[in-house]
Amino acid sequence: MSEKKHKVRDIFVEGPIDPQFVATSLEKHATRLDIGAHELFLGQVRADDKSGQAVEAIDYTAYRDMALERMTDIREEAFAKWPSMTCLHVHHSLGRIPAGQLCFFVFASAPHRQAAREAVAWVVDRIKADLPIFGREVLSDSTHVWKRNS
Amino acid sequence: MRVLLFGIIAEKAGASELELEATSVNELRDRLAERITGLGDLVHAIAVDRQVVRDDRKLNGSEEIAVLPPFAGG
Repeated sequence: MSEKKHKVRDIFVEGPIDPQFVATSLEKHATRLDIGAHELFLGQVRADDKSGQAVEAIDYTAYRDMALERMTDIREEAFAKWPSMTCLHVHHSLGRIPAGQLCFFVFASAPHRQAAREAVAWVVDRIKADLPIFGREVLSDSTHVWKRNS
Repeated sequence: MRVLLFGIIAEKAGASELELEATSVNELRDRLAERITGLGDLVHAIAVDRQVVRDDRKLNGSEEIAVLPPFAGG
């Protein structure tokens, strides 16, 4: 299951990311005996307060073709920066994700922890900054505001 | 040319795409402002063939154009 071929992969999943999917992803790596460290980042929709109204869900949309092109670039750059990394998996939700549900999953594995840790932190930041993904925060009074990464 | 709209820009326009004619990104911005009320108050970038470009970029009409509000992934 080599991950070092940088073809375009679809990172998008419709709806929330099931915690069972995370467990299954981890389990699939049990046969890779060169791996000594896994690092996972899981993004969860937060019930932020927006002028007295709680965020109940985020509706995610994306400019898919551009997002997948940028993701391919980020993946290539990550493998160049951390050549010992064994594999890198990225999943991001589209559609409505209720508060408390998972919307973002980045998972890197390597022989040792430093590469996996550094790669995940870097990839998460790059995705948030560079991928054309848009979030409409649905509030408790049924109005909405548009999310914007800082 | 077909111009793809996303997020709050699509919401303001009431459409996910527009058909416009322009020979540069500068001119495209003028055409967009005519069609989308309040666009000037919204932060946005223009992507040509899936790359964010500068306003002096020339257009020949065959490109894939998109108007991108701030990103919110993660």
